[in-house]
Order: sequence, then structure tokens, then C-alpha cells
Amino acid sequence: MIRAAFTRLAHGLAVLFATVTLAFLVNDVVPSDPARMVAGAQARPAEVEKVRRELGLDRPVPVRYALFLRRLIHVRVGVGVKGDSNEEHVTCGTLGPLHVDLGKSYQQRRPVIDILAERLPRTLFLAVSAVLVQALLGIALGIYAAKNKRTAKDRITVGASLLATSAPTFMTGLLLQLVFAKGLGLLPLDGYGATLRDHVVSVVLPALTLGLFGAALYTRLTRDEMLSALSQDYVRTARAKGLGELGVARHALRNVLVPLVTVVGLDLGALVSGAAVTETLFRWPGLGSLAVSALLDRDGPVLMGTVLVTCTGVVLSNVFVDLAVRQLDPRTRAERSK
Amino acid sequence: MARPRLPHPPLALTLASVTSAGASLLLLASLAAPAAVAGCAGGLPPPLPAESPENAPPRRGGTLRMSSFGDIRGLDPANIADGLVSTLHQLLFAGLVDFDDHGEVVPRLAERYERSSDGRTYRFFLRKGVLFHDGTELLADDVKRSIERALHPSAPNPYASFFASIRGYDAFAAKKTEDLEGVRVEGTYVVSITLVEPDSTFLPLLAMQILRPVCKSGGRRYTDTFQACGAGPFKLPEGGFLRGQSVTLLRHDGYYEAGKPYLDSIVFSFGVTISAAKYKFLNGDLDTLRDLTQGDVLAFQRDPRWAPYAAYDRERQIMGEAMNTELAPFDNVEVRRAVAAALDRSHYEKVKPTTLRAATQPIPPGTPGYDPSLRGQEHDLAAALEHMKRAGYPYDPATKTGGYPKVIPYYTYRQGVSEYTAQVFAQEVAKIGLRIELRLVNYPTYIAQIGRRGRVSVGPWGWSEDYPDAIDFLESLFHTKGIADEDASNVSFYRSPSFDGLVDAAKRELEPVRRKDLISRAVTKLCEDAPFAFAYSVRFYDIHQGYVRNYRVHPVWPLDVSFAWIDRANANARTHAVSPTHAPLGSLLHR
Repeated sequence: MIRAAFTRLAHGLAVLFATVTLAFLVNDVVPSDPARMVAGAQARPAEVEKVRRELGLDRPVPVRYALFLRRLIHVRVGVGVKGDSNEEHVTCGTLGPLHVDLGKSYQQRRPVIDILAERLPRTLFLAVSAVLVQALLGIALGIYAAKNKRTAKDRITVGASLLATSAPTFMTGLLLQLVFAKGLGLLPLDGYGATLRDHVVSVVLPALTLGLFGAALYTRLTRDEMLSALSQDYVRTARAKGLGELGVARHALRNVLVPLVTVVGLDLGALVSGAAVTETLFRWPGLGSLAVSALLDRDGPVLMGTVLVTCTGVVLSNVFVDLAVRQLDPRTRAERSK
Repeated sequence: MARPRLPHPPLALTLASVTSAGASLLLLASLAAPAAVAGCAGGLPPPLPAESPENAPPRRGGTLRMSSFGDIRGLDPANIADGLVSTLHQLLFAGLVDFDDHGEVVPRLAERYERSSDGRTYRFFLRKGVLFHDGTELLADDVKRSIERALHPSAPNPYASFFASIRGYDAFAAKKTEDLEGVRVEGTYVVSITLVEPDSTFLPLLAMQILRPVCKSGGRRYTDTFQACGAGPFKLPEGGFLRGQSVTLLRHDGYYEAGKPYLDSIVFSFGVTISAAKYKFLNGDLDTLRDLTQGDVLAFQRDPRWAPYAAYDRERQIMGEAMNTELAPFDNVEVRRAVAAALDRSHYEKVKPTTLRAATQPIPPGTPGYDPSLRGQEHDLAAALEHMKRAGYPYDPATKTGGYPKVIPYYTYRQGVSEYTAQVFAQEVAKIGLRIELRLVNYPTYIAQIGRRGRVSVGPWGWSEDYPDAIDFLESLFHTKGIADEDASNVSFYRSPSFDGLVDAAKRELEPVRRKDLISRAVTKLCEDAPFAFAYSVRFYDIHQGYVRNYRVHPVWPLDVSFAWIDRANANARTHAVSPTHAPLGSLLHR
């Protein structure tokens, strides 16, 4: 188990390195000018040049990339060492002597680490809420539809899930805003708020927006898997032995969990990258909207930071899924041990 | 500055003027919203009225709630790089001079000022007892410190070179000295600024927000960690700036004008989509509304009940078709003249009638120096065809033969109305035998490319007023010193020694009549040489609730609510559906 985890993590590191390198190069190949974006469209040539020098954008790409990698993860041996001033480390996130440095945002002029530290918890909060909504709602409806297969209830559930899957998230979000915020006045229209209570109330609509889309997929997946499981011999045997429907469903669900856990894990990883449309619509200050604005503003350091975080999220969720499947499905363990 | 980052058409102004906006997504959401709710919108509710009669004295208290779908980068006046922040700077920082309700420069923190007979030295006599937000008194040394802080090369100030006329600026900017020679403390409350030569734009520039005094905590040099602190009517409390979310300002009780300001606080929210802002405004959760779709503007304009509370602001932005005078066929002045005469500007207006207005000259109507008596570039198809003939490319509209033989690439960007006005341009110039191929790129790419020598032959470009003076437009866009191989602000690469001479002379000229004449001649010269085909100016519609008093469209600032007041005793105590703190489910959680 531990060995498998380390192997997966090692693969993940290779993926991270490749992604970060690619992102750095792509960001540089695009024919735009971050210095111009910082100085403003109306800045005079001399001012743009000043900004370019200040941001180090006048250096060649390989030099900048080497500097980026050197600073990304480094060890600070000791305070007071010659040539190692505190100023060099103001943009670092620290873990003892281990420093992570993503530089300073061109636009916000703050350490990227600080910006990510501010945004990541909000995105995680939204992602976990959305996954909870989609998992709970989707699995419940999937079981419900499977239990009522080929009835009107089944058809309505499947039809509704098709509708939810087809609707673009911004449209779902707008409708939820219209009904629950503007119409009924039950929930805030947008925003994140300042207190924990505000955050909890504010997350409901964006989580529902994301969750409804995912729940629809889960409903169909769970229904199909359940139908398949319910037609298996072990279920027939269980029924013949007089097990109640609830018990049967519980047995079948355990076998359905493997594909579901895989999808939930991957979804969580994807949601860590932020749901740009939903975050924008609901004014949720997470990673998604940050990445979009960084892209539009050509804010390289922030862009690299978001790429790194989201890539890490996806890699970790994949590792988690692999390990979880191993635990849930004994056949996987047996196959691998062979 | 008022809107430094905005050479865009109106919608672009709203989308591109601001940082971190997620502009495309906002646009998507905002455009989709009206469609989604069209069936439910019905008529507009009436405005919420004031409680007191029109001539009632201002009442203290209340919170003014405003929003924008844009965002700001920071609050330091030494680093103004987005269009939205000037509204907040106006509240946080007071200047030696400011603009009054007619756009005239008047003393503010300075009790008075005088200009030397040679027009090169300005001496400012500070009011005594003016307090910064931290309680310390404003002294002449603070003025010098703040100016040096904002103009020091270590500050990321994109407008420092606007003040290059201050004596010693060049040495200071080159880090040859740490003392800006032209700014001198002449006493505890007296400071003078000496220029290398008379500069008629100096006072309007000084009245902008860049050099406004900051508290001693701002230090002598710019830092990224400065907690905004000045001598304006409102102050920023600790934690008042939630990045990407909102800014909350509180009344500065030590403000030098006794009894002012009236509001307890102002809350400005960022990133609010256009549809959400409208909901909130109509639900009473916002007191002002500025980001509007065209449909919304028309709806408000149709409802006479809203008429007293809505107005257009001044037109301070000009847009046109920039023709690169170094690239064929626009290196031929006759082709440029043909394009300028071919454009029927009323067709541009149709793209967004509530916002765009036909323009024929480089100065927008809201900027001082605009002369309505100048004819500018008028639509005259026959004249345009004649210019094409003189250029060597005669075109016969009846047979559609002749014209310029090659297809001309026209670059534009997918943001705002530019991609739509591009189609208007293509149709207009097709009538004189110019065939256009539209090439759509993203905005960052566009602004990098158009300022690069030899890249873009023709494309949309414009200018938003940096400071209220015609020189801003003429010098930035068309003076030879705006030409560079990279990042040129003179994007048509137009060179004319006689035009440069007129602009330089107008800048030096302090006598108003002679100055006006020089500007008129420069504008006329420009319209004839046609490096731009001027197309339209941009204006914005602004609405507020009836209980927001003293809320006026300002001639310079996009919004100035420094001395607004709330004429509704329980205005901010009502229960609202749409804010986190007031949502009923939130209240349940609270219990």
C-alpha cells in the first residue's frame, strides 16, 4: 500500500514538472506583453519599459525559467548568511528551512503564495460542498431510479438528470439566483461574506449550481451500475435467502462504489482547479476566477501558482482514487500482488 | 487618474478597465442574464424616494452601497493602474488642489496658491490643522515626501513622466539624486513647485490623485504593503479592503471641512455581475447603479419616475480607427483622408445607441478644449472617392471596380463593442474600394501588437482622459515623442513637426485665448492629416435611488460621492433578500 502510494506520488511529481514547464513556456510564447498589461494601455513607452525591467521581463526566457525553478523550492540554510537577505525571502512560503517561492503577482504586487493561501481554502470549501451535493443527491436519485426501473418515477428521474446535465452551469446558476435569492429571498445572490455564517450561507447556491450538474451524471451512473449489480447472481441468492430490499440495496451499493469513488475523486480534483464560470457568477473569490483573471492580465506568477496548485490537486486526487479503489475492491489488490 | 487603462469602447470600458475581472465570463453571464429573466422582469419598481424636501439640510449617518463588476489592484495613489480606483482615491486622499463641480481647478488642502510671473513656480499655502487619517497634521514636508514617493523610480507609477516638467525630475527619475529639486519646503505650511518651463497642464495634473499627500506611515518610498491613509473625507479601517470582494470606508471625523462628510461609511463591492447589480439595486441592496446593459438603460429611460435620478456623465473617451502612417496603404495621406471621409459615424452609434455618440475630432465633448465649432472629419462619400482617386486608387461604386488592390488586415479584439464596430468599418470603407479582412485577437495581444512598430496597419484605438485637458489626447496619441519601436502610445506612428510644434506651444501657453487657438489649429491639422478616422465618443449612464442626496455627475471624476448623504432614516436597516447577512437562511443559522 505504502509502496504503491510512493510510486503514484513519484509519477505525480513527473507530471507536475512537465505541466509547470509547459505552462511557463506557453505563457511566454503567447504574443502579448505582461509589462503593458501592468502599466496600462495608455502608459507611455518609458513607463512600460520601467515595468518590464522591474519585473525582470527583459531577461531571456531560459534565464527566467531557471530562476523560477531555483526559487520554486529551496532551502534557506540560515539567517545572516552572506548574500542571503530577508528581502529575498519575503515572497516565500516557509516550512521550517524549506521555502516555496512563486514570486510576486505582477498585478496585485503581493506574494503569490499569500494569494493562493487566501483563495485555496475558499475553493476547497466550494469544491467539497459541490461534491457532497452531487454525491449525496446523485447516489440517492440513482438508487431511487434503479429501484423503480422502467416506471414513471424512473423516467422522470432520468429525464430530470438529462435536463440538468444539458443545462449550462451559468444558466443553472442564474435560475437558482432568480428563484432562491431574488424571488424567495432565502439565500444571498452572490458574495462570500465576512463571517463563517456568511460563508456557509453563501456557498449554498454555487455548490448547488455545480452539484446539480454533477448529481445528474451520478444519478445516471449509479442507476446503471445498480441495475447491473441487481441482476447479479449474488443478489438473486440474497433475495432467495429472504434478505429485505434495503439489505439487497446495501450489498449492491458496495459493488457500485468502485466506479463512484473513482468519479468522485476525479471530480474533486477537477473542482480544486476552480469553477471559473460559477465563481464569477456568484462572486466567489476562489482559484477559478483568479486563474481566469491572471490569464487575461497575463499575470505569469499567479498563473504558474494556480497551475501548480490545480495540478497538485489533480495528482493527489488520482493517487487517492487509486488507493481507495485498492481498498474497496479486493480483486484489484489480488491482481496487483500477482 | 480618471480612467488610465481604457482606450476602449463603452462595454470594453466596463470589461477591460478593470483588473482581475474575469471579463469574458462576466460578459457571458451578464448577457445571458437578461435573456434568462426577460419574462420575469416586468416594469421597473419606482425609485425609493427621499424623506425630506429638496432643500433640507444634509443628514449625517447611513451607509452608501455601490458596486462594480470590475476590481482594483490596490489603493496606493502612487500605483494607479486601473480605471475604478479613482472613485476610491477621491474618498481617501485629498489634494492640494482639486476640481470643483464645473471642472475648474480650485484649492483644497492648500488654502490658496500663487503662480510666479514667469509661470514656472507655484507656491501653495497649506491650510492649518488638516489632519491625516492617523491623526497627524499635514505639513509642507508631507507634501514633498508624498510627491517624491510617487515619482521615485522605485514606485510602479505608470504616470510619473506626466510630471517631467518639474525641475530636477530627470535626475530624480534616473536615480542620480534622492531629492526632487523642483519641490521645495519653504515653511511649515508652504511648499513650492518649480517647473523647467511654463506648463498649462501642470495644475490639472496636480489636481489628479497621483501626488496627493499620504500619511507618514506611507514612508518616503513606495512599498507594496502601504495601508491606504491620507487626508480625504473617508478612511480605510484595518481589514477594510477585502481583495476581490469589497472596500469599506469609514467617515474621517478629523476631515478639515467641519461637519463633512455626512455618510458613516461607504461599501464598494467588486466583481458584481451586471445582472446581480441590477437585482440588488432594485431590491434596495445597492444605492447606485452604473453597470447597465443597453436594455436596462432603455428601460430606465422609458420610465419617467427614474428621470430625476439618472444622468449621463461627461464624454471623456474617444475612439477611432488608427491608421499606421508607416504601412501601406495608409502611408498615403490621401487614403487616410478617404477613410476619414468615408465613415458615416451614425452607423457606429447604432452599435450601441445608448452609449456611443458620433465623433469627428480627437477631443471628446466632455474634455476641456473641445471646440464644437470645429467641423472635424465629416462624412462625405464623394470627397472620399476623390481622395481615393488622388491616392492612385480610383474606385467606381456603380461597377464596384478599382480601389486598393490588396486586402487590408484589420486587427481587433473580442471585448466590448470593437468586434462590432469593426464590421461597420469594413462596410463603410468597402464603399471606397478598400477591402478589409477582420483578424480577431485577444485584448492583451492586441495592445501589445498595436504599439509595436510595423505590425498593425489599421485597427480600433482610442483614449480615455488621463487628466481633463485637450493636450492629454493630442500629446499622447499623436506627438512624435509617443513613437517607439515597442509600446508606442502614438499607435498610428504619425510624425508632423508642425503638429508637434502647435501642441508644445499650447502646452507652454498660459493665456487661455492664445492656447485655445493653438489647440484648434492642432486639431484641424490632425483632422486633415487623418492618422485616425475619429469615430465615436463614449458616455455612461448613472442611476441612484431617490434617497441618495448630493449625488451628482462630476465633470472630472467618474463618481464623486464624498459629500453624498442618505435621506432615509432606515435606509440601511431594511431587510434585504440578497446580501449574505440579511438572507433569511443566514438568519436561521445565526440563531
